Amino acid sequence: MSRTPKSHPHSRIGQKPPKINDLKATLKKVWKYVDRQRNLFILVMVMVLISSALSLVGPYVLGVTVDRVIEKVETTTLIQLFVGLAAIYIFQMVTLILQNYWMIGISQHTVYTMRNHLFAHLQKLSLSYFQKQQHGELMSRLTNDMENVSRTLNSSIIQFTTSILTLVGTIGMMVWLSPVLTLLTLTIVPILIVGMKWITKRTSVYFKDQQKHLGDLNGYIEESLSGHAIIKLFSREKETIVQFNEKNEQLKTAGYWAQTYTGFIPKLMNMLNNVSFAIIVGAGGYLAVQGSISVGVIVTFTTYSRQFTRPLNDLANQFNMILSAVAGAERVFQVMDEEPEKTEKKEDRLQAVKGDVRFESVSFAYETNQATLKGITLHANPGETVALVGPTGAGKTTIISLLLRFYDPDSGRVLIDGKDTKQVKRESLREQMAVVLQDSFLFEKSIRENIRYGRLGATDEEVEQAARDANAHSFIRKLPDGYDTVLQSSGSSISQGQRQLLSIARAMIKDPAILVLDEATSSIDTLTEMKINDALKKLMKGRTSFVIAHRLHTIYQADQIIVLQNGSIIERGNHDELVAQNGFYRGLVDVQFGQQAVD
Amino acid sequence: MRIILSYIKVYKGSAVIALLLMLLELVVELLQPLIMGIIIDRGVLRQDLSAVAGWGGLLLGLSLLAFIAGITNSFFAANVSQGVARDVREAMFKRIQYFIPAQLQKFSLSTLLTRMTSDVTQLQSLLFMAMRIMLRAPLFILFGLVMAIIVEPSLATVLLLAVPLLLGCMVIVMVKGVKRFRSVQTNLDQVNHRLRENLFNMRLVKAYDRGEFEQKQFEEANGPLQVANTKALRLMETTMPMIMFGMNMSLIAILWVGSYQLNGGGTQPGEVVSVLNYGMRIMFSFGVFSFLIMLFSRGRASISRIVSILEEYEGNDRNQDGSSYQSGAVAFNHVSFNYPTRSAYPALEDISFTVPRGKMLGILGETGSGKTTLAQLIPRLYQPVRGTISFGGIDSQDIRVEDLREKIGVVPQEAHLFSGTIRENLLWGNKEATMEDLIQSTKDAGIYEFIKELPDGFETTIGQKGVNFSGGQKQRICIARALMKRPDILVLDDSTSALDAKTESDILNKLTDLPYTVFIIAQKISSVKEADQLLLLHEGKMQGVGNHKELLASNEFYQTLYQSQQKKGEVHYVENS
Repeated sequence: MSRTPKSHPHSRIGQKPPKINDLKATLKKVWKYVDRQRNLFILVMVMVLISSALSLVGPYVLGVTVDRVIEKVETTTLIQLFVGLAAIYIFQMVTLILQNYWMIGISQHTVYTMRNHLFAHLQKLSLSYFQKQQHGELMSRLTNDMENVSRTLNSSIIQFTTSILTLVGTIGMMVWLSPVLTLLTLTIVPILIVGMKWITKRTSVYFKDQQKHLGDLNGYIEESLSGHAIIKLFSREKETIVQFNEKNEQLKTAGYWAQTYTGFIPKLMNMLNNVSFAIIVGAGGYLAVQGSISVGVIVTFTTYSRQFTRPLNDLANQFNMILSAVAGAERVFQVMDEEPEKTEKKEDRLQAVKGDVRFESVSFAYETNQATLKGITLHANPGETVALVGPTGAGKTTIISLLLRFYDPDSGRVLIDGKDTKQVKRESLREQMAVVLQDSFLFEKSIRENIRYGRLGATDEEVEQAARDANAHSFIRKLPDGYDTVLQSSGSSISQGQRQLLSIARAMIKDPAILVLDEATSSIDTLTEMKINDALKKLMKGRTSFVIAHRLHTIYQADQIIVLQNGSIIERGNHDELVAQNGFYRGLVDVQFGQQAVD
Repeated sequence: MRIILSYIKVYKGSAVIALLLMLLELVVELLQPLIMGIIIDRGVLRQDLSAVAGWGGLLLGLSLLAFIAGITNSFFAANVSQGVARDVREAMFKRIQYFIPAQLQKFSLSTLLTRMTSDVTQLQSLLFMAMRIMLRAPLFILFGLVMAIIVEPSLATVLLLAVPLLLGCMVIVMVKGVKRFRSVQTNLDQVNHRLRENLFNMRLVKAYDRGEFEQKQFEEANGPLQVANTKALRLMETTMPMIMFGMNMSLIAILWVGSYQLNGGGTQPGEVVSVLNYGMRIMFSFGVFSFLIMLFSRGRASISRIVSILEEYEGNDRNQDGSSYQSGAVAFNHVSFNYPTRSAYPALEDISFTVPRGKMLGILGETGSGKTTLAQLIPRLYQPVRGTISFGGIDSQDIRVEDLREKIGVVPQEAHLFSGTIRENLLWGNKEATMEDLIQSTKDAGIYEFIKELPDGFETTIGQKGVNFSGGQKQRICIARALMKRPDILVLDDSTSALDAKTESDILNKLTDLPYTVFIIAQKISSVKEADQLLLLHEGKMQGVGNHKELLASNEFYQTLYQSQQKKGEVHYVENS
């Protein structure tokens, strides 16, 4: 007879689809992925064509059979009809199964490939991209939007095609069977269109409202959950709940109207179905009395009218789903269209370096209008420690970012062993360096895997050795699962200080020529601090080290101190020299470390 | 589940009306094939036009009736579902507000957020559906069969045999499919988890050039997702055509039986058509039925996630009927504590000390020694597992928690500010504060000069999580916020770490002048040297208590600590963002 509706009209309780900037371009891009399996896709389409045709022929033959049954024709004729009908149903089933089976394969493979490409592309994007993007927003693109694409690809392509084919075919068959009855059946279409317009005009407003309030509520929940302890400490629970209730109420009101109006749609469809049924049976009965059509035609028409209103309904439904999926796909492709980090055409691999680092009048700006670094020139001999000192925003982090080639300088050069880093493959450059960042980023994996992140091929013994060197071994051993303890992103499985120890161990195991260290300002206690200083000393020995220094200890030991202010180097030298200069550095040290530091 | 029912009960009236309206629609639909048969038998075959017109008119009228019922249903159903959703959200939020920190940690922030938003939305559409179609499809199948029997029992036998069989098969497959989709969800979570972690750690990933490694790991998670998804979808999508085929074959059987009956004269043609039509409509209901199973399974998962929050114990946080707070000495008596998640590892063991009113206690110890835990016990964010903490001689457990916290100003390690203006954030400490209060507190916290220089002063907006301020500035605003309370007790949990030595000592000096009982956790002896007492912690155990001089003279642990900080490489901190 016909296929089952895959998505019921009610399933679309979602919002009105968002705006799409370039439908054609996005569809083209999606198509490129689907096109990788073109042959299979063509087969699917052939199956769709056959099954749609069969869904038209089925009711017709059924109607004919009803007529013959009523006419009480010979049994052999009936048997022929029954066999014919059965054959149609069998073919219909087979074609349906095949098209679904193959299409699922295609769509899932498509999504799999897209996900992989997307992820791969993310790895190539410049760091500045991630700084510009809101985390939650990006995540939502990568997860929700991607899921949306996946779901729609599974069913919508087939359903959309089937709907259109069935719609056209059904109208054709109906006209052929009885133009008058067709005309009468079609009278519901204008009602449908007017009704849908009336409804969607209202829903779109309320859905927009609902989205806005939902976003509001979301933000509020997020903030009040992350500040949970503070709310408690200030006994602000009641106020927080009251404010929440206000937002919650607004959401409910918008949601109520959105849902009520959306609820009209299936009822309208249903009513039109029923009306057309009444028309067909009533008017068809009238025509049958007059002898211009048979009872079988009425039976056929009742099926066709369902097959005709359902695709209309489905199309409306599918259309929304497809639009929102396309909008999702567009957002995904926007990420993919982001320019990856620039690479020069001819980049060499950097072989094992000695660690001679040179900045030659390097200037750089994150935003085009405001220079972050202005004409920085500095030189570190292999094995030297360079401490970067200066107030917040002076450009310390930027220097490190340029060294790691997170960014390329706008002018000037960064040279390692005399080679311009711009001419060197990023991965070979970073192969020579290890970093310990202020935020000790760790993964939700075992401690072992986290340390091994520094050198993927490291053995368990090497991991433990690195942990020992970083003075992390003793605390790790005390954990219930030792090195296999899986770290939690939040929560207190290990302390901040311990996390830092792990990130130091991770750098240890890499054994690089150049070390980049963004010293943590706090959260490691004095005793651990000593152990770390000792470990870092070991680590820095024989390596060129760039340190954003927050501790006097580090500054004392540095071979050079670079004092930065507003993106320029204003003083340089070792501690004693700089103190003797009695300039900015001297002032800084006096203020920040007290008089005793200079004595 | 029962909890959710209690929320629905509030809207009992609307729910009943919605269900009745739905039943009305159902009746209309059930009558349609019957009337169709009548039109054929009494009208078409007897050439009676007035019968056709009369019954046709009735059909039309019934359609309109059903429509009106449906539209009205929308209002009532939406009222129930949106109302319940709002109430559930409110209840969840309230419950979470009164969570103790351990409970909050059990669920992560992001799961709580999804539970309160998408899971509730899921529940809401499930409810909406329940009052519109959920009962309708099964009822239609049931009553469709009944009607078919009424019309012509011999023909209905076919349906009576086929429908339960096919429906049974379908339900079995669906249930299996639902299970498969659940494993798809697990796979999807894995993929999303990889993604999130990668985004978060992008700086590190880049610095270690682990793009390819990450890619490989991602593909390792992505592959199983594809396989699981394909499998689950294929199961579902290939079963339905088979079920449809079964139904179609039973239509042929109806005609087959019908042809014999007609020849025997026991059945009217209209009755055959009518039963046939019931069969077709039942088949359409199958599709809806399968959709319902999906919806329900998704809804059930959401509901159980919601319920698990609503059923969380209330903690002992809402102790409303304790005595009020009495200022006086703060005493720890043999306090032990362990985090619920790590019960085998005591975070604090047998801690005892007393801080007289207005005195200062410095707490020193290694990372992980239990300092922050101790600080959290004071305002009763956690409660001791053994031992007691008392304020002015009253056991902390007996004091109304709000009262207690009103008297305790805490500046946590992590400087957390809320979106809003600086002033709004400060008012957290005291709603009725005047401008003078604001100025005084910010001056004491050493941040007034900074705020004054801002173009908008106290009205400067703080971005989410205070992104537009440096760590040191945020810390000082947090200190000011705590001072706004004019608390009896002040707890500073390493909250001057991002400050330079001079600012730090200025602030600490100010605090010493104020009449507060002060607990100060610090990394440097120099920060707390002047404290009346020092408490030394090591791996959750007390290593000694006393003032600087005493400890230096007699405490080995302290001596080591002191010496380590007296070397030339004394640890100092430069202010940093």
